[in-house]
Amino acid sequence: MTLRVLTVDDSRTILAMLHHTLSNAGFEVLQAEDGKQGLDVLMSHDIDVVITDINMPVMDGIEFIKNVRASGQYQSLPILILTTETSQDKRDQGKAAGGTGWIVKPFDPDKLISVIHRVVH
Amino acid sequence: MSDLDDFKATYFDECSELMNELEEQFAAIEGGERDADRLNAVFRAIHSIKGGAGAFGFSGLVGFAHAYETLLDYVRDGRVEMTDDVVSLCIRANDIVGDYINAAQSGEELAADYGQEEKQRFDAIARGQRGGDEDEWSGEIIEEFDIEFTPVRVELAVDDGDVVEAVEAPVAAEPDTFDAPPMPVEPGHWEVRFTPYRQLYSRANDPLLLFRELAALGEINVRAILTDIPALSDFEPFGVYCSWEISLFAPDLTESAIREVFEFVDGDCSIEVVPLGHVVPPAAAPAPAPVAVVQPAKADENLMALTEDEVAAAPVRLVAEAPSAPVAAEPVAEEPALSFADLANEISASAPPRPVPQAAAPKPAAAPKPAAGGEGGEEGGNRAVGVQSIRVDLDKVDRVVNMVSELVITQSMLTQQMDENLRARYTELVRGLEVLAQTTRGLQDSVMAIRAQPVKSVFSRMPRLVRELATKTGKKIKLETIGENTEIDKTVIEQLSDPLTHMIRNSADHGIEDPEKRKSRGKSEIGTIRLSAEQAGGNILIIVEDDGNGINRERVLQLARDKGLVAPDITPTDEQIDQLIFAPGFSTADAVSDISGRGVGMDVVLSNIKKIGGSVHVRSWTGKGSRVTLRLPLTLAVLDVMLVKVGESPYVVPLSSIVETMQCSGAIFERVPSGGQVLQVRGEYVQVIDVAQRFGMHSNKAPDDRFVVLCESEGSQKVALVVDDIIGQQQVVIKSLEENFEQVEGIAGGTILGDGNVALIVDVQGLRVHQIHQNAA
Repeated sequence: MTLRVLTVDDSRTILAMLHHTLSNAGFEVLQAEDGKQGLDVLMSHDIDVVITDINMPVMDGIEFIKNVRASGQYQSLPILILTTETSQDKRDQGKAAGGTGWIVKPFDPDKLISVIHRVVH
Repeated sequence: MSDLDDFKATYFDECSELMNELEEQFAAIEGGERDADRLNAVFRAIHSIKGGAGAFGFSGLVGFAHAYETLLDYVRDGRVEMTDDVVSLCIRANDIVGDYINAAQSGEELAADYGQEEKQRFDAIARGQRGGDEDEWSGEIIEEFDIEFTPVRVELAVDDGDVVEAVEAPVAAEPDTFDAPPMPVEPGHWEVRFTPYRQLYSRANDPLLLFRELAALGEINVRAILTDIPALSDFEPFGVYCSWEISLFAPDLTESAIREVFEFVDGDCSIEVVPLGHVVPPAAAPAPAPVAVVQPAKADENLMALTEDEVAAAPVRLVAEAPSAPVAAEPVAEEPALSFADLANEISASAPPRPVPQAAAPKPAAAPKPAAGGEGGEEGGNRAVGVQSIRVDLDKVDRVVNMVSELVITQSMLTQQMDENLRARYTELVRGLEVLAQTTRGLQDSVMAIRAQPVKSVFSRMPRLVRELATKTGKKIKLETIGENTEIDKTVIEQLSDPLTHMIRNSADHGIEDPEKRKSRGKSEIGTIRLSAEQAGGNILIIVEDDGNGINRERVLQLARDKGLVAPDITPTDEQIDQLIFAPGFSTADAVSDISGRGVGMDVVLSNIKKIGGSVHVRSWTGKGSRVTLRLPLTLAVLDVMLVKVGESPYVVPLSSIVETMQCSGAIFERVPSGGQVLQVRGEYVQVIDVAQRFGMHSNKAPDDRFVVLCESEGSQKVALVVDDIIGQQQVVIKSLEENFEQVEGIAGGTILGDGNVALIVDVQGLRVHQIHQNAA
């Protein structure tokens, strides 16, 4: 079964790199440029795992995660926070909002894939 | 490598956009606009530049951007004030970032200390905020996050796994000591006690996945501790009652490797990692009580295939049996050692002596890779949303839209041709038609989505308009916009510009009061006009609100009477008066002003919005403000309707405005003194419009055999349409009556039905307005 990953980031570069890495690893990749778009995509597709940036316009990653978790439907959807934040602050915020785990940018492709497999069945 | 080059190209593209954005933002910031949105946008831009630069190893850029970003972070959270000095430093910093980007793009090397001076100034400003604590602010990038361990309670297991004694022991106070277990009695044997808290589950973490991860480290035996499970009557559905004990073995397995597995759930569970002290050397005998639930040997397949049942069942079974009885399992002694070696060999050569978790982790991950060529290709793994784009000539899109519209008609025609007889005989055909209907709908939605654009393009023109209006009128007005990214069909957007301009002019001119008047009313001197867009069901709502005067109803009514729009003996309700401002040629301004009040404003709004199948509703609160709501269809062209019959002609009523339908025989009609009829619906009186009578046709049905279609358009009162027959629901393609014929009151447009007949689309709101006028006359 092809896993479907939703990637949410306002940086096209990061989206492109995620897309490349993930689709090479056999994932189906969907993209959104901010949390709001992310919610739209999430609601209209069956998503297996979400990777989201924190700093984004319109709706940031923290709000996005809160919104996703607020819906009963997505309680068990794994959400990975993609962040350059080296301080634990953002990561804690993301986790408190309902993030499952995190990936530190810049990411190593193998590490990225392995982290995804850590959180999906 | 070409992939990397592609990414770099994307990155530099993005950088140039971000640099433009920075320039725009700083132009405004220099002009004194230092609100949080701008500062956030600037922060995000630098953050994005840094993020990408990190990915490509542009370390000079990363270093500078990081220092700059930190300053911006301080600015946006208010720790550093955005003084003019800071602004000019930032503008200088933007140039430096630009230089770094250019250098990275052309492969040049900048001087190692380039931008150093500015960096030091960031540093100084930041340090100022930190009370001179230099140690804390190094200006360096922390590349990795060290997991810190606090001392935990360690249980010393002695004698057949029975916990005899517990002592407090500081575990691994420093990262360096991680690899040396505190009690290295039996290297590689560990006992993990794992008690999840409720929040672990609410963040979509799953113990099963953690066990799988542990199983990738070595041999694992999981026992569920079920003693905390309460009686069924006390059982909370989301309660967390289960904890686990896991025995782990792998040569050289370190505590840090185990803890790394629990990295994501740190704080969401209690974890104790204890070295097993009593075990015989691994080579000499099988591990004691533990059963190999999962063997590392068949690493990938097995680990991945570890099902919920397996994990769940095994521990339960073990707990059920006597703990001392070594459950006969596969011999675990030699095989794991062997397979571990295999595993270790496969693992990257980077850490040959001791497979640290970082090295071990990619192993299971490698599994999907080979699949990439095969199944990954099926859907291309590529469904970009909103990012990758192509430019297409609008004509081409419109051609597709037209064809899809025709397809919708054809599809509905086909469906209509299927009478009961055919339905019964050709079930396959019916099914096929149903699929066709669904696909057509999907196709139509997709095509319309292509034409959708954010309303931002229209909204963005309004701030300037408001500034100009404020200057001209000498009022103080601020514009708030909400929901700029709401998407609407391109044609709707084009039609939106004029109405919005008129509405905002109206608000600025008639709504918002002079500063003195506002003051005397206890309002803020600055009037607010709020422009918002949101999606509500199948419609888009565009709302223009102001906190001004509200509609001057006395004046409106007076004018309406003067113009003969309302008869002297009629007293319209407030709501009806408010709607009168949409009447053609209506103007309330005492003197026709330069700005609005030409008496075409709201008239234009109404006709433009009607043209695109929308409706307009106004509400007003005297002295407090007014609100105009435009309800627009999400997609143009195709409308869900109810097909009804009036006389011999088919008419369609937009489904979105229908509340309910009923038979006339069961309805209670009452006559009112003015000669009209009302319908009593659950204690509410609703105005009745006989469509046949209204359009000058003859109904050949007995009054009791006719039907009532109860309608409600945005915010207005209900209205009951009496029709001769209800035929059914369907989708129709809207054809403009104005373009092909002329505007007809009470009719929103026409459509061609599946059988080729033309049906007119009833404009519910228009009928009501007309009726008021008619009653008045």
